[in-house]
Amino acid sequence: MPQVNQNTTGSEYWRSLEEYAKAPEVAELLKEEFPGYDPDDVLTVSRRRFVQLMAASMSLAGLTLTGCRRWPQEKLAPFASRPDGQAPGVPTYYASMIEQGGVANGVLVTSFDGRPIKIEGNPLHPGSLGATDAFTQASVLQMYDPYRLRQITKGKDDGDGSKPTWDEFIEYSATRGKTLRDDPGSFAVLSQPSSSPSLERMKDALLSMFPGVRWYEYEPINRDNEQRGAIEAFGKPVRPQYHLDKAQVIVSFDSDLLGCHPNQVRHARDWAKGRKSADEGSMNRLFVAESAMSITGSVADNRLPIRSGKIGGLVQALSQQLGLMPGSSTLNGASEFVQAIVKDLDKHRGASLIVAGPNQPAEVHALCWALNDALGNIGKTVDVTDEPKIVGGSGGGCFQDIAELSNGIEEGRIKNLLILGGNPAYDAPADLDFAAKLDKLESATHLTEYRNETSRRCHWQLPKANYLECWGDGRAWDGTLSIQQPLILPIARKGAESKSPIELLAMMLGEKEADGYTLVRQTMAQFLPSTGFENNWRKALHEGVVPDSAFKPLTARPKTANELVPPALAETQGYEVTFIADPSMYDGRYADNGWLQETPGPLTKMTWDNAALINIADAKELGVGNGDIITITVGEKSLEIAAYLMPGQARGSIALPLGYGRTASGPIGVNVGFDTYKLRSSQRPGIARDAKIAKTGKTYKLALTQNHHLLNDNIGMDLTEVRVGHKGEAGMIIKEASFEAYKKDPVHSTKMHGEHGSVSLQLWDGPYEPGQKRPGGPEAFNEPHAWGMTIDMNACIGCNACVVACQAENNVPIVGKDMVLMSREMQWLRIDRYFKNDREADPDAEHPEVVHQPMLCQQCENAPCEQVCPVAATVHDAEGLNVMVYNRCIGTRYCSNNCPYKVRRFNYFDFHSQNPRGTGIPGMAAKPWLLMPDMQQEAMIDKIKRMVFNPDVTVRMRGVMEKCTFCVQRIKRQTIDAKNKWARGERDKMTVDDGAIITACQQSCPTQAISFGDLNDANSEVTKSQQNPRGYKVLDGLNTRSRTQYLAKLRNPNASLASTGGGHHQSEEASHTQEAHS
Amino acid sequence: MATISTQPEKPQVLFDNTTDDPTRRAPLVLGDNDFTSITDKVTGIAAGKPPAKWWIAFLFALSLLGMLGGLIGYLVTTGPGVWGNNQPVSWGFPIINFVFWVGIGHAGTLISAILFLFRQNWRTAINRFAEAMTIFAVMCAGLFPGIHVGRPWLAYWLQPIPNQMGMWPQFRSPLLWDVFAVGTYATVSALFWYVGMIPDLATLRDRCKNKYGQFAYGLFSLGWTGSSRHWHRYEKAYLLLAALATPLVLSVHSVVSFDFAISQLPGWHTTIFPPYFVAGAIYGGFAMVITLAVPARAMFGIKDIITDRHIENCCKVMLGTGMIVTYAYSIEFFVAWYSGHHYEQAAFLNRLMGPYAWAYWTMIFCNCVGPHVLWFKKARRWTPTIMFAAMCVNVGMWFERYVIVVTSLQRDFLPSSWALFKPTWVDYGMLIGSFGLFFTFFLLFCKFLPVIAMAEVKTVMPQAHDIVHDPDEPYNPDEDQADYRPDRPHYEWGKKR
Repeated sequence: MPQVNQNTTGSEYWRSLEEYAKAPEVAELLKEEFPGYDPDDVLTVSRRRFVQLMAASMSLAGLTLTGCRRWPQEKLAPFASRPDGQAPGVPTYYASMIEQGGVANGVLVTSFDGRPIKIEGNPLHPGSLGATDAFTQASVLQMYDPYRLRQITKGKDDGDGSKPTWDEFIEYSATRGKTLRDDPGSFAVLSQPSSSPSLERMKDALLSMFPGVRWYEYEPINRDNEQRGAIEAFGKPVRPQYHLDKAQVIVSFDSDLLGCHPNQVRHARDWAKGRKSADEGSMNRLFVAESAMSITGSVADNRLPIRSGKIGGLVQALSQQLGLMPGSSTLNGASEFVQAIVKDLDKHRGASLIVAGPNQPAEVHALCWALNDALGNIGKTVDVTDEPKIVGGSGGGCFQDIAELSNGIEEGRIKNLLILGGNPAYDAPADLDFAAKLDKLESATHLTEYRNETSRRCHWQLPKANYLECWGDGRAWDGTLSIQQPLILPIARKGAESKSPIELLAMMLGEKEADGYTLVRQTMAQFLPSTGFENNWRKALHEGVVPDSAFKPLTARPKTANELVPPALAETQGYEVTFIADPSMYDGRYADNGWLQETPGPLTKMTWDNAALINIADAKELGVGNGDIITITVGEKSLEIAAYLMPGQARGSIALPLGYGRTASGPIGVNVGFDTYKLRSSQRPGIARDAKIAKTGKTYKLALTQNHHLLNDNIGMDLTEVRVGHKGEAGMIIKEASFEAYKKDPVHSTKMHGEHGSVSLQLWDGPYEPGQKRPGGPEAFNEPHAWGMTIDMNACIGCNACVVACQAENNVPIVGKDMVLMSREMQWLRIDRYFKNDREADPDAEHPEVVHQPMLCQQCENAPCEQVCPVAATVHDAEGLNVMVYNRCIGTRYCSNNCPYKVRRFNYFDFHSQNPRGTGIPGMAAKPWLLMPDMQQEAMIDKIKRMVFNPDVTVRMRGVMEKCTFCVQRIKRQTIDAKNKWARGERDKMTVDDGAIITACQQSCPTQAISFGDLNDANSEVTKSQQNPRGYKVLDGLNTRSRTQYLAKLRNPNASLASTGGGHHQSEEASHTQEAHS
Repeated sequence: MATISTQPEKPQVLFDNTTDDPTRRAPLVLGDNDFTSITDKVTGIAAGKPPAKWWIAFLFALSLLGMLGGLIGYLVTTGPGVWGNNQPVSWGFPIINFVFWVGIGHAGTLISAILFLFRQNWRTAINRFAEAMTIFAVMCAGLFPGIHVGRPWLAYWLQPIPNQMGMWPQFRSPLLWDVFAVGTYATVSALFWYVGMIPDLATLRDRCKNKYGQFAYGLFSLGWTGSSRHWHRYEKAYLLLAALATPLVLSVHSVVSFDFAISQLPGWHTTIFPPYFVAGAIYGGFAMVITLAVPARAMFGIKDIITDRHIENCCKVMLGTGMIVTYAYSIEFFVAWYSGHHYEQAAFLNRLMGPYAWAYWTMIFCNCVGPHVLWFKKARRWTPTIMFAAMCVNVGMWFERYVIVVTSLQRDFLPSSWALFKPTWVDYGMLIGSFGLFFTFFLLFCKFLPVIAMAEVKTVMPQAHDIVHDPDEPYNPDEDQADYRPDRPHYEWGKKR
């Protein structure tokens, strides 16, 4: 110990005793910053020494891998703060609405940094209850379509190339305004039917200012017949409010209640309630009589394929059998069906429902009203409410409107026309030749989203705002008012921004404040309590609905069956042709929507096309196969169209889906499919008669996502039959039972004969060993959650909402028809549709049973894909997700080969960057691209188009495999949040609550067929549903131990009709030539 | 001198060593050949001007290789979608071609290593080019897995290279085993080929008249002088490499078969695959040896070295392995039936009667029916039938892989996902182009390297053991025959006397 220096005075800091002692060694040490370090050492080191040192360092650091040392994990809890009112990367949600067919549906829009990217249903909205249909899901893609009209254009055909501004248009309309004042009768407005009170207000303002102006409304798919039927029955327009959840017996006559109805989403939800209650011992029964198989028909318990023209007779016979009308019809082939209905209806008075479809004439609708009334259903399963107004400005319906307008132009009375949306030049009845009429006008202006067939014949084309860009309002089917909030400013040229119809009208009327916000707010002032208006307004905006604005049920009663005009029982010689809304294109308005173009038809599984749906026996008679082009002649009009042999199609009836064959639109929409409007007349827009069919000998390629081996592939049929089941037997991958059998034996009735229980043999322990087994939960991959999914096939109607929702959520590209033909479609979630029928009794599959099986990654615990990936690009996470590491994937595609469910999708090309319409050369769908592949997307994808991408999900490049991960981005958002809150002490557990995570498919599902959650949680919905006796895992025998479970389908057919094949083995062939007598 | 003919007036009999006379061993080299003539002949091919036929063949092969290069460029810049692969047939022509070429690559090492260990001295005439064939076939095979991946520029991730990601490859994947198996096989085969060639390269060096040739041959002959010490080391090394290569012949195609057998796809998931694949590979490999040897020996005039007997032996190997393959085809059906497993049975029913039944029956004809013409000795000696059988097997073995890959994938478990596979022009182009790659290298080999293992052939010639004779005694070929002991190394021949 050195001597302590005694000379020091005063206080002083010291670091060591030596320093304190001021030892000379310390003094020496302090001189240098790095003691013991001689820089000369390094400079004078010999070459040999240097190499030695370097080699030693290398071997220590590199070769022994100490350089790759894993440091012990230390968990940090960063304290982060953010600017006020802004959270980058955190989405916000806005309630809004979307209108289709004059009915508004509530939506909840996800907005990411100012970009709407995903549409969900608004849970507070009665028409949605949180779910949506496929159209709504896809509508966001339309918003970012780079080919939407984004500026004002002028001139016919391709336009004159000028880029006018609104000022110029106002100037022009002011000059036309002079004519308007002189001769208001020469001016007409053609609008699409709308429930918007603001539009109504603008219309009233226009008509009061210029009383002679004519206001017409037209939409090709409309409710003319329903409304006329209601008027016949009630003497005034009323609207039926079906409560499918209260109906035990539902009889649908040609009505696609669950598939194509303005209130479809709500109907599906209510109907599914009556299906799911099977586990509690009651189940509704759905009878469907229709010509073309609809979604509703596909889930019917008893379905009768019958020509639409005969349904009037069927309804009449039903009334007679129920004793409501005198006489008795003999219905060859259908009498058993009617008697079964009669029995069931009789048993369930007040708990039954009869619905007729939009193609059925008004008399049938009126008669159905009378039937519902006689059965005591009104006020119970169906409420009568006000119809806000009869569609069509003339009060006679859409077809009358368009005909009147057409006549007006023809006669020279109407010289100026303003068209608000729509596309009448394309979709007006062919006999009116509306496109040619447009050419006769002095001035035609089209407010439109696309430069379509109509725009090209107008003088001015004004950009119509997408519903996400503008203010608006509307009424739900039940009358509830909703407000449409814009999520983004119009994507358009400055000075020529897109406008909504109300804004345009207000502007043309010279209103001072012509902005949508003011207009809608003014309208809402009529509906919202004026006291505390601001609060009420904000609340309505926030919730998306105006409270208590639904229509009140009326006490009105319809005429009795006897008082009504009986349906005309016209007979037809040739084929009958029905025009139906396409499940993807609706009336053609979605032609530019690639997601919808590529959505396979729920029953045809056809993409990028429509075809004439024809009965298989009829096709055999005609010698027509799938994809053969036939000529259909109705009156003087004829059409060449590809044929599709549709199981379940009624004999002698051909269904033509509308909405294809567009000739002017964006590059996605034109020249896809066949324009069936060419055959549609204003006289018989729904069901045309006396059609003649001829084979042309030409063929056409139909891009189907699911092969069908109906006619020529016996081996494929045999193999399929065992797997899917037949003659009422459960199959290997599809399990089903009748409700009767299920009630007796819930466990075994849905299984194959002699089938063993679940196989969970383990030769060795799973690759992941958890800390502890949770009661009821899975044994492995359950830290801290164990994700699982259940899909109820009993509820699934195959409506495709989930398919499009998944596409939107996960940035799934479309591939185009060429690629679908090569089986390269990319949808992560597909709905497998299987037909079942008794091949001996029903060789032409006229009475098939249908199964919809949504198929997505099953998240196998023992995943075959993971074991074969050479680069570990697909791995399991601790919570049971089979995750894809996209940037690790090199694309060997082995995982796809080894996936028994074939749910993996491979980016054969850079599909996001390329034109889905292809290059036109077979095998040359993509052009060579010489950029670095990683940069293609940045260089190629349109700046606007890419805004639709969900920033939470990687946009995959070409050459990588992709697949469903149960929306891992949604899971992570919730789990991270829960964990943070738990760490901050705001929660008592770090696991998320049941129901907090909703996958995209689950959220969109109208029937709530999908449940998802944590299998560790004994009380979660998914755990409960996985304990359902109907539960089974597809391909369980492969020991994949999937986390996805299916609930077997139940059918509840009438016992008096045979239990399988839709329950009517007696040939309906007879009815082809037979007719109903009264 | 070595003629055993009883009818010497017929010149073609000179080349007939296929008569089995049990009293004497058939000579392996025919004609009036001694060491000098062998050296002259073989080095003449490498040193002399190539025949016009060679030029035509070479330019044709080179243009096909160019097409392959162009197609690969198109593939890399455009995407793997240029092929017909789809969902569910994620593997198509590239993997079929890969397995096909790996199979071809079996015969060479089998001939040079296994037959060496079994002292089958007839191998000496054909082993060199059979090995060359192996190397080039493995090159073709190695190409396809590399380019078949979605992002070929990242294919090196299959290698276990320490990297900044801290990622190893996934060792459970058979594709990774493939990388190791094929990589090892290619390395050892190339080494074996090269080591065996060193004495001959030295001969070429010594005979070469131009400067570049002298330099190149000199460089690669590694200073070979032919000293006893060199020979001693050389023979040891050769023996060791043969021992090393022998298990690889069996392992590589076994591992390739794991690509299929490890998966759980019906039609792939079969324990019979490893032996079945190896037998098939040898079958296909020998067919390709014949396909190459028959025209080559005519083109270069070496029918006296690659004799009819060689060809016949190859035919016999084909017959044997062909029957193993046929047995495998049939036992697959038995197992499918016996398993009682629906999906397994479905896969095989689909092969027989499904949409690709034509491919299956093509395979059956080409592999199980056509080559059986070789049971007839006349057929084994008549070039058209030999070539017919060999081409049958070449086509049949390609279709075997087509059937395995396409028909199994095309219809697996869920009928909703069934789809057809249709190859595109790029698929066909690459298949043809791979032959361009193969033949370009093969023709270059024929031109620049010793196509016959001169040093080894000489050891099986009677003159090889002249030393045991008294130089004063006249040479007696019959005595020489007695000394010829193929079961012993040549340096032991005649020792007992």
